[in-house]
Amino acid sequence: MENELRNAIRELLEKQEIDVAIGYGRVGVDGAVGAVFVTSPDDVEQIVWNDECRQNLAVHLTRPEVKAFGKIGIVVKPCDARAVVVLANEAQVDLDLLTIIGVVCSGIKRAKPDGTTADEYYAKCETCVQHTPQNVTLVVGDVAEGEALDAKNEQNAATAGNNAKLAKLRAMTVEERFAYWREQFSRCVRCYACRQSCPMCYCNRCVADKNRPTRIDTSASLKGNFAWNILRAFHLAGRCVGCGACASACPAGIELDLLNLTVSDAAKEHFGFVAGTEFGVDPLIGTYADDDKEEFIR
Amino acid sequence: MAKIGVFTCWCGENIARNVDVEAVSEAISKLPGVACSMDYKYMCSEPGQSLIASKIKELGLTGVVVASCSPHMHLNTFRKTVELAGVNPYLVEMANIREQCSWVHTDKEVATAKAIELIGMAVAKVRRNAALEPIKVPVTKRAMVIGAGVAGIQAALDLAAGGVEVILVEREPSVGGKMAGLSETFPTLDCSQCILTPRMVEVGQHPNIELLTYSEVEKVDGYVGNFKVTVRKKARYVDIAKCTGCGSCWNKCPKKVPNAFDYGLGNRTAIYIPFPQAVPARPVIDADNCLRLQSMKKGKELCGICLKQCGTDAINFHDKDELVEYEVGAVIVATGYKLYQITKEQENPKLQGYGEYGYGKYKDVIDSLQFERIISASGPTGGEPKRPSDGMTPKTVVFIQCTGSRDNAKGITYCSKICCMYTAKHTMLFKHKVHDGEAHVFYMDIRSGGKMYDEFVRRAIEQDDAQYHRGRVSKIEEVMVDGVKKCRCYGADTLTGKPCVVDADMVVLANAMLPSSGVTSLAQKLSVGYDGYGFLSESHPKLRPVETNAAGVFVCGACQGPKDIPETVAQATAAAGKALIMLSQPYLTREPEIATVDERLCAACGACVKACPYNAISIEEICDRKGNLVKMTSRVNPGLCMGCGTCVAVCPSKSVDLIGFTDDQVYAQLESLLD
Amino acid sequence: MNSEPKNTDAFEPKIVAFVCNWCTYLGADLAGTNRLEYPANVRIIRLPCTGRVDFNLIVKAFEIGADAVLVSGCHPGDCHYTAGNFHARRRWNLFRELLDTVGVDTNRVYFSWISAAEGAKFQSLVTEIVEKTREMGPYEEYQSIVAEA
Repeated sequence: MENELRNAIRELLEKQEIDVAIGYGRVGVDGAVGAVFVTSPDDVEQIVWNDECRQNLAVHLTRPEVKAFGKIGIVVKPCDARAVVVLANEAQVDLDLLTIIGVVCSGIKRAKPDGTTADEYYAKCETCVQHTPQNVTLVVGDVAEGEALDAKNEQNAATAGNNAKLAKLRAMTVEERFAYWREQFSRCVRCYACRQSCPMCYCNRCVADKNRPTRIDTSASLKGNFAWNILRAFHLAGRCVGCGACASACPAGIELDLLNLTVSDAAKEHFGFVAGTEFGVDPLIGTYADDDKEEFIR
Repeated sequence: MAKIGVFTCWCGENIARNVDVEAVSEAISKLPGVACSMDYKYMCSEPGQSLIASKIKELGLTGVVVASCSPHMHLNTFRKTVELAGVNPYLVEMANIREQCSWVHTDKEVATAKAIELIGMAVAKVRRNAALEPIKVPVTKRAMVIGAGVAGIQAALDLAAGGVEVILVEREPSVGGKMAGLSETFPTLDCSQCILTPRMVEVGQHPNIELLTYSEVEKVDGYVGNFKVTVRKKARYVDIAKCTGCGSCWNKCPKKVPNAFDYGLGNRTAIYIPFPQAVPARPVIDADNCLRLQSMKKGKELCGICLKQCGTDAINFHDKDELVEYEVGAVIVATGYKLYQITKEQENPKLQGYGEYGYGKYKDVIDSLQFERIISASGPTGGEPKRPSDGMTPKTVVFIQCTGSRDNAKGITYCSKICCMYTAKHTMLFKHKVHDGEAHVFYMDIRSGGKMYDEFVRRAIEQDDAQYHRGRVSKIEEVMVDGVKKCRCYGADTLTGKPCVVDADMVVLANAMLPSSGVTSLAQKLSVGYDGYGFLSESHPKLRPVETNAAGVFVCGACQGPKDIPETVAQATAAAGKALIMLSQPYLTREPEIATVDERLCAACGACVKACPYNAISIEEICDRKGNLVKMTSRVNPGLCMGCGTCVAVCPSKSVDLIGFTDDQVYAQLESLLD
Repeated sequence: MNSEPKNTDAFEPKIVAFVCNWCTYLGADLAGTNRLEYPANVRIIRLPCTGRVDFNLIVKAFEIGADAVLVSGCHPGDCHYTAGNFHARRRWNLFRELLDTVGVDTNRVYFSWISAAEGAKFQSLVTEIVEKTREMGPYEEYQSIVAEA
């Protein structure tokens, strides 16, 4: 499949349908997988595909220096593909200049603290029911295999991965939940790796970096950490595609994906809204329906 | 450096009774940035205002806090005070220590402490206020009136008389609306067409009025004083400039279809004028029914009789819809009403209809507007009361009031207001034509408030012998009695406490009034609010009855709520008057407390564009001097923004802020509450 | 008048209310005009519309020591700006879930529609919020994270 991917990209580059391909490659000194930017058909061997492709490459699409390449081909996992849809819906990418190369994904494995790969899939992958990318220009990989995995996961979706954690969280008392996140957020060092790795965090200047007024305490205090993580989670309402890039980027191992899932879950439950499934959809926040729920309003 | 003056009012005893004003004043004087803290018996009085002015001049104050009553009471007063003393009026904040403190708390110690905090919040805010100038926008001295029933006609004529150009838009082929189809009007029984047609002719001929019939509003851009309204002129297939209205086309047209103007009771041809007095007296071709236009779709050219008949070459089978943009300063909406079609599928899921009355199933169960046509001299029966099923003159007619109105269980809670009166009129008109007839009315209450209205109903009962039964009809059944078809009405008379069954030759239902179809989509284009039924919302039910919350858009007539002709005309004149006042200004001033975008930092995600209730925000390009795109940004149109701040809340990077209620100000207010 | 002896140590909840200018603010004014007494614990921040109330203001209110927060605006259909309250309502739906997830007690966050005519509703709701918050006690949990550096 790696070869299939390389061939597809080589062809796109040769036919000059794209000026650059953003893919995964072994870029770290220790061979860790990260983004590579391939501009010549001769360099496609740099591109890899395996279960260590943790990043969501869509994060690069909004950067001016990347846009400057011109016609871009991007390798996306099914979850990342949804992020591209959201970016398009928010007018952050020009679809005319984009070739979306979707790969059938059978799950990504967690990194150990030492950087090596653990023999354990990400929680989101255990419940993933979309192994074949949607809304992409071309699909690379075995679709039938992807569908088989969808069916398998459909059965254990409720009892595995983040869904199981969420259920556990919901079973706690509100005080227990506060204590839970207090412990999690106490580890936050405000490195903003979450922001850096997230395709949706493309603001020219983050509200956390604005100081008139200072809306969020910028120090890594518990107060500021609560405010920051609440803020980021809510800014992702109706936008987060659950790619988990933030959680895998977080050096403190905070369960950011779980936090985001609660909002996505609520969006689905209250409004039947799932982010990034369709081009041309209005944002969840910024629109309304006359019959939005209000039983909690006095 | 901030030099804030704080002026705390006693409001006589109103504040001072429960708040220790002197202690408040003393405590506030210690706040950072406060240059002076004074108190006075009545700050809004002339000496109170003079005190503020003198302190501004003496100390060179950069901001003022007045701690007194609600800003809704006196903010404008104090804005003027400081402006006269040379300080920008937007550098005033009020702390509401009366309505929201002294009047609701009786423990003086507690209320005093709260007052200090409330003033502290205002001081924190005012230190971050900006000097603002009202926004001036130019005014296009032209108005658009949408809907040319009696309301639109009246408003257009009044505006035109006031010297304003008027674009009068009507979606039907003729002006006149519902009133043109009425027989006679209560409480005077004067002929509806006799009073309306002269006014219809007048709008057709007035030099200041441009009449656009068979046209609909497609799109509304712009803002108060400067609307750009795109109107779709529907293909008429007749060039009204060439046409003389001679009638040879419609007299010879072979295709007959039910005439909507007669509510389906009579027929018209495919090329037609809806009624003889139509303005303009120029026909249109109903494309759905025209043999030629239908055949052209299949590549053939059938019929074409009208083309041959026309002596002025006015027929154009290749006519197309045309979109025309008009620039207007004000818009008056007068789109009127329709009757609740009680059997048809309803747009509004709350409305369930009245299947038990057999309306639409039994031909002789008709609605009140159909009855108007039947009884009208210009109607399909020439004014002879004949029932639709077999043309028989009905001897017994049952009138059922409140069909749909005032029936929460069936979805409409309101009273349609005109039914009691027109039903009384109907009984009279019927009895005047069928002297030996019986008119039975089933009613809930008789609502006849109005000049000469109750007298009118009494006349129907006492002189014309209408039989009024207080009660409702539960069911209507078609039965044969001695070989004649009857509509058996199962009613009740709650005054006698007995069931009341009437075998009627015809039943007339006073169906509830609903706003005419399509009004909500028009309202959305104009950013005008509407209620659950689609009636348009006025700004204030008492004090701003014809304005809407969309600046520059006015309402009149039944689109705002059920009302009769006199009320409609009065409201139309009022709307025209309000529009004239606005259009007579050299320019309009608007509140400067609006949203503003930091265009350097906006990422142009478009969340604010979607959220803005006024379509005031658009995505624009920022280009360098050579015209190269630098970046995209959202931008607020200051003419359209009403200052709600919804954009601020949805902006993730807070690149948009609301002047007057900036995050800087609000966070400062919150910080001031920190213990 | 208030005849109960004052206990200076008694917990007095701090309530921050974000209200719209056209409905709830006027409702609160009406409570005043009608002399409808209620506890003095609420601090009103007047904004044009509930549409303006960003969720982060609620977080900030807890940071400055609020024991409960009220956000109140016009009833659906009555918004001065047509739809600001609808936008607010949609956000609240989701924000409540998020708060609940992170363990912020949603019993300390109130949303209401109070019209300019509902002075009595303002009075009773504020009274209820103060009483309930008093029962729950100070929001020490949130204050503890504020205090911690």
